[in-house]
Amino acid sequence: MVSSAFHTESLTKRYGRMTALDRLDLSVPPGEVFGFLGPNGAGKSTTIRLLLGLARPTAGRAWVFGADAADVAVTHRRLAYVPADVALWPRLTGAETLELLARTGPGTDLAYRAELVERFGLDPSKPGRTYSTGNRQKVALIAAFATRAPLLVLDEPSSGLDPLVEREFRRAVGEARDNGQTVFLSSHQLSEVEAVCDKVAILRAGRLVDVATVRELRRLHRTEVTAAFATAPPDLTRVPGVEEVETTGATTVRFALTGPPGPALRALADADVLNLAVREPSLEEIFLGYYGGRER
Amino acid sequence: MTAAETATGKGWGAAPSATWAVTGLALRQTSRGAVVVIALTALMSAVTVGAYRGAVASPSDAAALAALAENPAIRTLFGEPVALHDAGGFAVWRTGTVLSVLLAVWGLLAATRITRGEEDAGRWDVLLAGRVPVRSVVAHHLATLVAWALLAGVAAFTGLFAAGATAGGATAHATGLALCGVFFVALGTLTSQVFAERSSASGAAVAVLGVGMLLKMVGDGIAGLEWLRWLSPFGMAALARPYDGDHMGPLAVLGAVCTLLAVAAIAAAGRRDVRGGHLPSSSGRAPRRVLLGSPQAFAVRRLLRPLAAWSAGIGVYYLLIGVLAVSMTAFLAANPRFAELAAQAGFGGLVTVEGYVATLFALLAVPVGAFAAVRLAGLAQEETSRRLTLLLAQPVTRVRVLAAEVAAAVGGAFVLTTVAGLATWAGARTVGAGLGLLAALSGAWNVLPVVFLCLGIGALALAWVPRAVAFAGCVPAAGGFLLKVFADTWGWPTWIGQVSPFTHLTALPDVPVGRDAAMVMTTIGVLAVVVGAAGYRRRDLRV
Ligand SMILES: Nc1ncnc2c1ncn2[C@@H]1O[C@H](COP(=O)(O)OP(=O)(O)OP(=O)(O)O)[C@@H](O)[C@H]1O
Ligand SMILES: [Mg+2]
Repeated sequence: MVSSAFHTESLTKRYGRMTALDRLDLSVPPGEVFGFLGPNGAGKSTTIRLLLGLARPTAGRAWVFGADAADVAVTHRRLAYVPADVALWPRLTGAETLELLARTGPGTDLAYRAELVERFGLDPSKPGRTYSTGNRQKVALIAAFATRAPLLVLDEPSSGLDPLVEREFRRAVGEARDNGQTVFLSSHQLSEVEAVCDKVAILRAGRLVDVATVRELRRLHRTEVTAAFATAPPDLTRVPGVEEVETTGATTVRFALTGPPGPALRALADADVLNLAVREPSLEEIFLGYYGGRER
Repeated sequence: MTAAETATGKGWGAAPSATWAVTGLALRQTSRGAVVVIALTALMSAVTVGAYRGAVASPSDAAALAALAENPAIRTLFGEPVALHDAGGFAVWRTGTVLSVLLAVWGLLAATRITRGEEDAGRWDVLLAGRVPVRSVVAHHLATLVAWALLAGVAAFTGLFAAGATAGGATAHATGLALCGVFFVALGTLTSQVFAERSSASGAAVAVLGVGMLLKMVGDGIAGLEWLRWLSPFGMAALARPYDGDHMGPLAVLGAVCTLLAVAAIAAAGRRDVRGGHLPSSSGRAPRRVLLGSPQAFAVRRLLRPLAAWSAGIGVYYLLIGVLAVSMTAFLAANPRFAELAAQAGFGGLVTVEGYVATLFALLAVPVGAFAAVRLAGLAQEETSRRLTLLLAQPVTRVRVLAAEVAAAVGGAFVLTTVAGLATWAGARTVGAGLGLLAALSGAWNVLPVVFLCLGIGALALAWVPRAVAFAGCVPAAGGFLLKVFADTWGWPTWIGQVSPFTHLTALPDVPVGRDAAMVMTTIGVLAVVVGAAGYRRRDLRV
């Protein structure tokens, strides 16, 4: 029994003078849903491509279930991969693509595949070139989940999916977890990672910033609220969950909200609110807030 | 390259610079191919006028040539000989069909590639989100291609005129050639608006080309059906009769047809969705599950369609070669001057059926080598278009994927050479040329070692210069062929000619197999594939 689904040792990738990934040490235990969070260009896809043996590391190494990542004939028998930007063969229909991937892959649960096709709402009779971005992604996701491989590597898996399909996707991730599979998924959406993952690694400008459980991560998750009042604003500083209260005008206030919003809403309801704006800060903003503005 | 600079430099600020940027984009995507086509047009025209001077020195030569030209098979292939008494007329007869087909094929492929192909690949999404409407983008691409086609016409005129042919006939011929190019450029643009898929758009335009060529051939070959030529762009160009009246009427009609096509293409562009055509692309169908079981099977599956098309083209050509075996060899035997000229360019032994067939089989290495190179280039293309990522994420090594592609290409090359051998044999049989089936087949198979070389160089390119796979893969066959012709024609030092694989092809079926050269070429090819596979395994996937 290996102690990790995969692990890396000062894994580094340089493109010319640009360091896409800088000495990454990461170990993902088996059976976990592991999020890989980072803003655009952080190096998430690069890490995944090194892990898959699609690119060669400049330095360092990666192992998948104890085997060298470069040995794809071995490692790929125990993993399934969904790229960030799925391209299909234009002439193959969805069903034919699934067939090809099943017959060249590590083994496929055909009944589960049929169920996923149904649940994801994919029309498999269409040729690849007619699929939208989301539908191409569905094809790859169905193929990956249907393998029931011990490790699923998903690069921004839900970026092109509509909310209904995204719900199905989260269910499928849950089923994989129940099944004892490891899921490694990259994202730049905090909310997505929070919803499905047990643990999260945070990457920024090619460096690993933090590995945290989702509970620890919640402290990162804050909402920015701007409220305008008819009269002078109430005092919000003592309300639980409200931080960084900032008076931006005579009757306007901006504050950050973390945790359950109930107390803050009650406080606002008592005042005469004219206008309320709620905004999710971008990951980059959060990172700047918590990890400082370290540049590349 | 001022236009290209505008495209990258000034960007999309003002409307005029935006449209210039579109033209610059079209120029950049077409210039390389266009320059090759234009240079070939000028060169072939000029060289053929010169060759006439050397070959047809006496009236008896001219009479023999005229008799040959009246042979129905020759007539079908080269068209009606209207002015063989004139150097310019001879050049028109000798090069007209080849050049007009070359221009047509280049024109339609370039048109579908830079319009439908780019749009289909999603590269127009950004372009069309800007301030230039689809119609205008299509119009600028079309205008660029039309300009290239007209330049090819100017090149033909310059070639003929500079080599000493008279200007009037040269004008008629050059106009006809250019208009054939324009016709297929406009047609390719139109089919690109009608079909939502590049291969369908190219296929439809190629079908029109085939029918057009057929109508002209029938019109040329069969008395009483001459009017059919009015239905074909090639036919109308021929009806101008360069060096024999220089009729401008048919050319005016052809010009009008071209204008209509261009207007229709631009109009059609304005009335459709981006990434959509007027004909909805195929909606659902039942799955065809054959040949999806392994990378090897899948390589074969992707091979079948193109292989059918290449087989048809090569089959028809070698069938005609077979049909011509007797009349060509008889002509060359009776007119030693032509045979000498051919021998100077490295084509000896043309006076026997076997020698003639062997020479033309050696040529087979060029298209079959190109076929093999294009297969490997297809693998490089699969990689950049990110389709290969899904396959390589399976427990399948890159070496296995490359081996599958190489094996499929070798199988395809074997099929193509067999088709050529069978077609030649069948053609020769119809004229009673006495060419044995085994001789024909082994003559065709004889080029396979050169094809292995092409695959080897292509595999090396895939590992280290993946952009240039098609070009590099064509070097041993097409490049080697040109090298041998140049070396023999201009008397270059022997060692230069020795570099060309063609020097080492034995003239089968005339001469017994040259095992050593074939073994050497095959070994080099296999080694190169192995080294290429090692390099391919090691590098990053380009996505
Ligand atoms: N083939 C390449 N050549 C040069 N630079 C590259 C290459 N691939 C990636 N990079 C660079 O490496 C950095 C990391 O890229 P990567 O694709 O891993 O980011 P990412 O975290 O997946 O971002 P996103 O969220 O946008 O997908 C980027 O700055 C990118 O420009
Ligand atoms: Mg990415």
